Amino acid sequence: MNERITYCLILIPALPLLAAVIVAVLGPKLLRSLSHIPVILGLAGASVCSLILVAEVLREQDSLPTDREKAGFEQVVTLWTWANVPDAYNLPGDGATLPPHASRDVGWRDFRIDISLRADALTAMMLGMVTFVATLVAVFAAGYMEGDRGYWRFFAYIGLFVFSMTMLVSVSNFLLLFVFWEAVGVCSYLLIGFWYEKPEAAAAGKKAFLVNRVGDFAFTVAMFLIWCTYGTLNYHDSLADGTTDPQRVVAATADSPPEQKLIRGVLGQDRILAGDYKTGWLATAICLLLLLGACGKSAQFPLHVWLPDAMEGPTPVSALIHAATMVTAGVYMVARCTPLFAASPTAQLVVAITGGFTALLAGLIALTQFDLKRILAYSTISQLGYMFLALGAGTVLGVTGGMFHLFTHAFFKALLFLGAGSVMHAMGGIIDIRQFGGLRRLMPWTHATFLIGCLALSGVFPLAGFWSKDTVLAAVHHNAIEHELERRVGSHPGHPDAEPAAPGPLAGWTAEQLATARLIYEVLYYGALFTSFLTALYTFRAFCLTFYGQERIPDQAGHHAHESPPLMVAPLAVLAVCSIFVGMAFVAWSGSWGGNILANFLEGAPSLAAGAIATTKTPPEFHLDIAGYSTLVALAGILSAMFLYMGGTKEATVLKRLFDLQGADRLTDPEWIAGLERIPWISATTKFLRSIYLGWVVTLVGYALGAGSLVLAIPLLVGQFISPYKLSQNKFYFDEIYAALVVWPLSILASICYWIDRWIVDGLVNAAGMVPAAIGSLMRSLQMGLVQFYALAMVLGALVLVAARLIWAAG
Amino acid sequence: MNEVSLLYNFLLVGGLLFVLGMIGFLVRRNMIVMFLCAEMMLQGVSVTLIGFGRHHGGLVESATSTAASTAAASAGPWGGQMLVIFIIAVAACEAGIAMALVLMLYRQSGTLDAAYWQDLREETLPPFVDREVPEERQEDRVWPRLTPSGVEPPIDPDELLHRPRV
Amino acid sequence: MTVPLAIPALLADLPTVKEICSCNSFWAILVGSLAVWVLLPNRIPYGKTIGGVLAIVASGLFASDWPLLGNWTDQAVFWLLAGITLGAAVGTICSRSPVYSAIWFALSLLGTAGLFFFNGAQFLGVATIVVYAGAIVVTFLFVIMLSQPEGHSAYDRITWGWFPKTFSVLAAATMVAVLTFLLGNLRTEAAGSFSSESAAEYQARLTAQGAVLDQDHMANLGRHLFAEHLISVEVAGTLLLVALVGAVAIAIQGRPRLARRIEEALR
Repeated sequence: MNERITYCLILIPALPLLAAVIVAVLGPKLLRSLSHIPVILGLAGASVCSLILVAEVLREQDSLPTDREKAGFEQVVTLWTWANVPDAYNLPGDGATLPPHASRDVGWRDFRIDISLRADALTAMMLGMVTFVATLVAVFAAGYMEGDRGYWRFFAYIGLFVFSMTMLVSVSNFLLLFVFWEAVGVCSYLLIGFWYEKPEAAAAGKKAFLVNRVGDFAFTVAMFLIWCTYGTLNYHDSLADGTTDPQRVVAATADSPPEQKLIRGVLGQDRILAGDYKTGWLATAICLLLLLGACGKSAQFPLHVWLPDAMEGPTPVSALIHAATMVTAGVYMVARCTPLFAASPTAQLVVAITGGFTALLAGLIALTQFDLKRILAYSTISQLGYMFLALGAGTVLGVTGGMFHLFTHAFFKALLFLGAGSVMHAMGGIIDIRQFGGLRRLMPWTHATFLIGCLALSGVFPLAGFWSKDTVLAAVHHNAIEHELERRVGSHPGHPDAEPAAPGPLAGWTAEQLATARLIYEVLYYGALFTSFLTALYTFRAFCLTFYGQERIPDQAGHHAHESPPLMVAPLAVLAVCSIFVGMAFVAWSGSWGGNILANFLEGAPSLAAGAIATTKTPPEFHLDIAGYSTLVALAGILSAMFLYMGGTKEATVLKRLFDLQGADRLTDPEWIAGLERIPWISATTKFLRSIYLGWVVTLVGYALGAGSLVLAIPLLVGQFISPYKLSQNKFYFDEIYAALVVWPLSILASICYWIDRWIVDGLVNAAGMVPAAIGSLMRSLQMGLVQFYALAMVLGALVLVAARLIWAAG
Repeated sequence: MNEVSLLYNFLLVGGLLFVLGMIGFLVRRNMIVMFLCAEMMLQGVSVTLIGFGRHHGGLVESATSTAASTAAASAGPWGGQMLVIFIIAVAACEAGIAMALVLMLYRQSGTLDAAYWQDLREETLPPFVDREVPEERQEDRVWPRLTPSGVEPPIDPDELLHRPRV
Repeated sequence: MTVPLAIPALLADLPTVKEICSCNSFWAILVGSLAVWVLLPNRIPYGKTIGGVLAIVASGLFASDWPLLGNWTDQAVFWLLAGITLGAAVGTICSRSPVYSAIWFALSLLGTAGLFFFNGAQFLGVATIVVYAGAIVVTFLFVIMLSQPEGHSAYDRITWGWFPKTFSVLAAATMVAVLTFLLGNLRTEAAGSFSSESAAEYQARLTAQGAVLDQDHMANLGRHLFAEHLISVEVAGTLLLVALVGAVAIAIQGRPRLARRIEEALR
């Protein structure tokens, strides 16, 4: 056990929590406008600890003993036992039909939830990214939120969020993962609705919360299935008494006493090495439910609708929670559960489809939005789609590529959001790109850093986005199906470490199934390329409209439109430098064009190191063709955006009319068709045709046009309402569809329930309550306010007593 | 002296005193008189208790004990008198509070009539109204008329000469 | 025996009409009720005279029916004291003027005190005179002076109406009648033991029960009061203190309102 890892693991969540508590307690009265100091210090401390953790994990991975090398490195720190229900569940299974080493698994077991943190490559990477971005965003927010009424509240929430997020990525248990999954959701809700006086902000917070509930429900069902299937919720292997010391865990045998027996974690090294994962419909169900949960948190189709609305929150929150960290929790979770997903290629295909479709959808919507932050939000959804697409490729390269893209995306998307925040700060809270323009002279720093962010997002060589996007595309191109096909023909170019011909879960698929899946992946690949074009297009559209063209400043900005203070520019600069160099640095340090030290690092995590996924390990390789395509596509996108939006927007208007099918209605207008004859070249042609006795051709064409217009009339008129432009502008009407399909029926049901509750249930209760009142109204006539009549009643009572005494005496 | 007769007589005197106080409390409308009557009821109880106290005093478990006196016997020979002492104490408290309340009520309403406070009745009920109030007869206008405290009384020359009764 | 089954026994045990008619107490209660009914504030002409006569008749009827004490001096003293007590009580409830009521009540208290003396409760007799007649009644008079200095008022001349008055008197009569009926055994016993006790026996019994009638009466009473009933004494003391504080608090609370009322009246 590495002591330093233990301390860092505990310190990383503890410092932000401490800061949050300090700010929450002292903020309102004592700290006030200094509330950012404890939080920034706490986050910086956590960030330093994270760096130490990364270094330590790297060192431990390199120094693994050879017999453990294949399983990867993990270290689990158990703090205390949260809950323990002895003999809660009898895990079904017959020891006789299982391999000998698995027989330890079967039988009665405790429902035991330990508060245990883990350190492995995935966690270390996420922790480093989260704390680093959070620190920079907190510094930015210190300037951005200055003078806000809820200054201390904001920083308390930020501290709480970072605590929850770091716990989310470092816990080693599905239940705790869910707890902190919800905790970050709560922080997100609180921060979206930070300006709760604004009705839109309150509604957006509510929407985010409710949409996430759908995903969370799926997640809980998935957890239930995992518990029923695997009999534990721990990631890691442990003994029945909770011991996680690797030596003792490995030493456990079938002869050990009951409390010393091995409990295989769901993602434990022992299980992964043994490949002991359920396949078939159960695995698919678990994975799809987990995926739905991840879709909720990571704003993937069909649960993507909350993220754009979440932009109602303060911009640093959008940068931190809704771009860089929290929304990547779903990606992290799917990556963490790679062994589960690897057991179900169907589920992986669904992951890839979801990701690819969402990426394309969000890219299309982002094209026509006018709210700068919403464009970035759709871009976030799109990029998250990329990550899911990569994870769905089903190869080691896919998972590492997805995580790599997550890592680089965090930097440049945080940069873009903070740049948007800087613009918003200067424009007096206005974020509609139609209301301002030409800001490049006014805000040179913001302009420069935003440009870097845009280039990185578009994937221009050699910025961060280029490398990660290239990896993603390569992974989709060379996906698990390709690997399987190669394995079947025996030409698997496997990694020297990987077992070359181990049949994976795909082994049972027929050639037709493989062909279908391959086709799907191919479509997804081209879709991703097209999305890459869209990304460049909408990014530079927003960039050009904001920073180029005629200088326009909205009235709300007043006369103080200026570059943001250094406190806000500094984080921008740091993030810009990171956006330029993180990709390059990782590749450069690895010493080869296709290499990537981050990927190598992640491959040391137990989830990726062994098992079915490990058979898809490939040697590092730079895909020049894919990189070339993606660069070309990105450049095409950038150039067309500049052509359309730099300077005047005349061409863009034409395109807009075209895609909005404007003018199509004229085809149904007979006068317009008749008027065609007056157009010079048409009338000349007509005259010429008539002169050579071909006038009947003219008449025929005229009739044909008339008949065609009648046929076209209805579809075109309908098309006007759902023209491509309108679809994109209105986000493909998802909000309206959900409102009609889900919200309205539920609200009708709710109003029925309300009516029943109000009039039937309450009515019964009220009726019961009216009985005493009715009886009381009879007695009320005795309350005549004359004291002596009350005394008279007492005398009557006394007489009754006397009569009773009389009877008693006689008896 | 015939002790049993004594007890009988005392019980009846106490009972009569009690019911007279009760009649007064129920019938009279002047709040002060009502409280006088309440005190009278207490006196009736006191007389009864004294009678029992004498009857049981020292004759514990005697053959003369009746069914009604077995409970009192357990109080010991002094039980009756002890109870009366506390009755007097409680009556004094009651009188003090009652007088303060009567003064307060008088200051609020300017009358000692208990019917004035029938406003406290249930609002749907009709008010109590006197059918007719008899004029004061000449023969009732008699002394003593008490001097308003703290105010020098106006001297009526007629009354200096003529006082029907004192 | 259950109570419903007791009713036939009760009916069987009830006196016959003849027995009732031959019982002086019955007539005494009847006449006394009528007397009180007539005497209570109303508009019956010559009500006081008729009521007084009826009351005297009732007293006589009662006296004729009560068992004798066996000693004519005792008997005379008792009748005198009982007469004063009850007569003054009737006066208290029947006086039109509250002042007279208070004075009649004081007289009734004196009679009660006399009865206490007669029954061997010297301390209580004195206490009654001092506390009641001396303090409480004087307080009543002060309050009457403060609040009703003008003498008679309309509500002293009327009652609540004929029904409450009649009902109250009937209820009172019922209670006395039931008491008399229930004490029938005691009366029989008293009549039976009228001559059964000689003077020597009486003296012996006095000696036996000496505690009450002893010359160390006060000492014995104090010993009992502060030994067996110490906690009750403490509680009673606390009660008196609380009552004192309460009375002061109530009286003070009323003052500003009075001032406000006077101000309003002046305006």
